[in-house]
Amino acid sequence: MSLLELEGVRKRREDGGALLLREVSLRIEAGELAVVWGMRGSGRSTLLRIAAGIEPPDAGAVRFEGRDLSGRGRRLLGEGIGYCHRTLRFGESQSALEHAMVGPLSRWVAPAAARRRALAALERVGAAHCAGLRQHKLTGGEAVRVALARTLALAPRMVVVDEPVAGVDLAERDGVLGLLRSLADEGVAVLASTGESTGLSQADRAFALGEGTLRSAPQRPLAAVVQLRRAASGGS
Amino acid sequence: MRDARIAAEGTARAQATPMRSPVNWALLGLIVERPSYAYDLAQRFERRFGDVLALSNIGHVYTALGALAERDLIEEIPGTRAGRQPRPRYRATPAGAEQYRAWLVGRAEEGRRQHQLFVLALGALAADREQALEVLARYEQAWLAEGMRTPIARESDAVDRLSALLGRLIDEDDRLSVGARLEWVEYARGQLRASAQSAGARPAEPGEPGR
Repeated sequence: MSLLELEGVRKRREDGGALLLREVSLRIEAGELAVVWGMRGSGRSTLLRIAAGIEPPDAGAVRFEGRDLSGRGRRLLGEGIGYCHRTLRFGESQSALEHAMVGPLSRWVAPAAARRRALAALERVGAAHCAGLRQHKLTGGEAVRVALARTLALAPRMVVVDEPVAGVDLAERDGVLGLLRSLADEGVAVLASTGESTGLSQADRAFALGEGTLRSAPQRPLAAVVQLRRAASGGS
Repeated sequence: MRDARIAAEGTARAQATPMRSPVNWALLGLIVERPSYAYDLAQRFERRFGDVLALSNIGHVYTALGALAERDLIEEIPGTRAGRQPRPRYRATPAGAEQYRAWLVGRAEEGRRQHQLFVLALGALAADREQALEVLARYEQAWLAEGMRTPIARESDAVDRLSALLGRLIDEDDRLSVGARLEWVEYARGQLRASAQSAGARPAEPGEPGR
């Protein structure tokens, strides 16, 4: 059983127009960095929202750890799946730390513990220095890191990130890509989308989405450390 | 007198013939970078071009130096042939430096031609849409795999700052090329489908392959 499985997923545009996804199937394993490349309007963001369980498919199955995601809405977010939208939005008066605390607090974690988790997550993504900053003070790369910290504060087993390098300065881009790679190396499954080919760097699996069809490149062998971790945990 | 005339004719002939060998141009570049002698050039060539361009052996360098000198692109530095172990050093002539810069700019045209060749060769399959789409799919896979291979941030194991800089420039070029090719595949796929549909709307011409 794969961590995430999409089988025969179909999705039409909301206005009932063209098919965005036709019979899309995809499997993601723990410790994999999978990246979907697609042009604007290709449906890559829709695919990610379906994979995260935020949006239901018109047809087909979406399973996370064997559980059917359809009809669960956003409930699985925070219960194994973390989703990062391409645009970071937090309250005007909110600091990055307060933003990263939202996840744990919404799961009734005590404020002190939520703060500890958020600080650890900010530290993990290399954004500890942003803890006291408001959104408008963050660079593009820092905003992505804070968004990831909010997700990681709930210790997800899979992170879904929509366009992590869009609008990120060239100098910061590699840092963000390196961060996603390191999360996967630690055993978290990462599913990202990108409209820029730079986002494909060092992915374990790369896909191209166009005309509703998902096409993949040959898979890279997973790092030995991931295989060892899986064997130790009894995974397949 | 006769020998001098033959040599002059040989030089004129060489100068009139375009120099096509990338090894020769690469060696000229190393000499433009700094004057050098044959053995040093062979070592620098290996370090700079690695797997991208290969020297068959040290003799290749001597042949190339001869070709470059014949075209007046390099010249021997006077006095470096003296001593018990003569080690002639070469420097680029002004014409050599100028022609090297022009050759570099011409690489853009070369890259464009390589892709044009692929497109024109694909034309052989245009009558069979499925085959052409299959090739495009595999071409796309190859570029996706290329995108996966590009390093995120090359570790600085380079022996010098110039090598590190060149490494970063190559990586970025690879990444951008991948994007351009993937977008082109999307476009070509759409065009092939549209072309097949419009061809399907008209009767086949005599001698036209069956659809």
